[in-house]
Amino acid sequence: MPSLREVQIRFSAAVLATDGTAPAFARGDAATAAERMAIYRRTIRSNYRNALGATYPVLKRLLGMRLFNAAVDAYVEAEPSRSGDLNVYGDAFDDFLARYAPAAEWPWLPDVARLEWAIDEASRAQDSTAEPDVVLGALTVLPADKLPGLTLKLDPSCRLIASAFPLLRIWQVNQPDHGGETNVDWSAGRDHLRVRRERPGAAIDGVAIERLPAGDFAFLSALVGSALGEAIERAQDADAQFDLSTALHGFIGDGTIAGIGDTM
Amino acid sequence: MTPGQALPVAAGIGLRAPHVGYVKAQRPPVAWFEVHSENYFAEGGPAIASLERIRADYPLSLHGVGLSLGSTDPLSRAHLAKLASLIARVEPALVSEHLSWSGVGGRHFNDLFPLPCTDEAVAHVCSRVAEVQDILGRVIAVENVSSYVGFADSDIAEWEFVAAVVARTGCKLLLDVNNVYVNAVNHGFDAETYLAAMPGDAVAEIHLAGFDARGPCLIDTHGARVAPEVWALYRSAIERFGARPTLIEWDVDIPEFSVLETEALAATTILESRDAIAA
Repeated sequence: MPSLREVQIRFSAAVLATDGTAPAFARGDAATAAERMAIYRRTIRSNYRNALGATYPVLKRLLGMRLFNAAVDAYVEAEPSRSGDLNVYGDAFDDFLARYAPAAEWPWLPDVARLEWAIDEASRAQDSTAEPDVVLGALTVLPADKLPGLTLKLDPSCRLIASAFPLLRIWQVNQPDHGGETNVDWSAGRDHLRVRRERPGAAIDGVAIERLPAGDFAFLSALVGSALGEAIERAQDADAQFDLSTALHGFIGDGTIAGIGDTM
Repeated sequence: MTPGQALPVAAGIGLRAPHVGYVKAQRPPVAWFEVHSENYFAEGGPAIASLERIRADYPLSLHGVGLSLGSTDPLSRAHLAKLASLIARVEPALVSEHLSWSGVGGRHFNDLFPLPCTDEAVAHVCSRVAEVQDILGRVIAVENVSSYVGFADSDIAEWEFVAAVVARTGCKLLLDVNNVYVNAVNHGFDAETYLAAMPGDAVAEIHLAGFDARGPCLIDTHGARVAPEVWALYRSAIERFGARPTLIEWDVDIPEFSVLETEALAATTILESRDAIAA
């Protein structure tokens, strides 16, 4: 008798097989067993289509139901789930779409996927406990020579996305409640977006997407992994007009910068 | 909030995302709710905040769908850690998982696959239930699953398998009456024989849901009203075991909340008629 592990390996292979052969482990007649294994295959396929459809509603709308479902099926084959939590499946859909031939004529789709994944992550990220006064106070008492080596922590829900396409506009005109013009000005240039959950107690208990100036975007992006001195340099490279004092007050005040880390 | 208490012996409703806002705002008169644990694994954000609000007003049961209890892969410590942190946060009356597996070799199918009914599988599942109970520091309930394919190697009946796991680990049983019925039809056994073999004292909760009869066999979709045959089997289960906390589950084509309330009312009627008999 094959071991339980062997049976599970064979069952998994039979779930994936589409040749209609009856699995040897099954009881009863072959045709019935093959037909019934197909129920698992269909259920699983439909579960993934629904799960990714909920995470990527704009992609689904842009691709249309048939192409979206085909893309999900191909994604599941290329990047199978490795977690029992279906809510965290789909993080590599952006890179997958970039190499998915049927979607090649719409090069902005991977960025749409990045934005929708960021919204999804932001919605379930840890709650920020930052109090702007405390962060500002801690910063003020630091000696000036310590500042360049200081690291700053961003709100756990904050995600930063740069796109060569008018990504925010693409996303907005594909919202179910969007009214009015739906045209996209493709010459509008790069988008630098901050995705972030609204602070608890704010009017909207959801995720906000905002366009940032290039300098601010470079500054926040550099703060993920680099110290303040380096972040200032990168911000000034991106925008000569970048003003540190305004950026710090703004981002601490709205909670984007949520804490002070170690000195590098 | 009332931590540590058992579920009320009454009808509860499986709470899904489309109804969370309604329940939070209207606080309908439902005895208790159950949610899928994994849907609240988030570290923060509106979903878990809503669940905490609802938990303040209702007893709660946490029902896992992703632990892959019966897999021969190692148990996911990360998954258990998230479950433990959710348990600490919402203090559920009951924590349950399925007598099934979801993948092997690191791959997950995010579905509930049946286990062969063999001594090896019983021993494996028992060690896993014990491991989970150890890590969580509490008794869990295990649920019998529906299945479409049987195993040639099975040498004991499914009801013997379920009863053995409960007897050996001291875990509770989440008896899904719809799954018993679906399997009785799909695999050709008498559902009453199954019920007769269940350890009545261990039944901590009962599940009811609807199936789809349009396929090559009955498909456990949780996408319809409870079938008349399943209501009859439920009545029989309550007569055997006494009144038990009973849940209405609905997961696809989720209807208006009032439809779920109507189903719960039907379960309440059967629960209370049993009370009348007992009195």
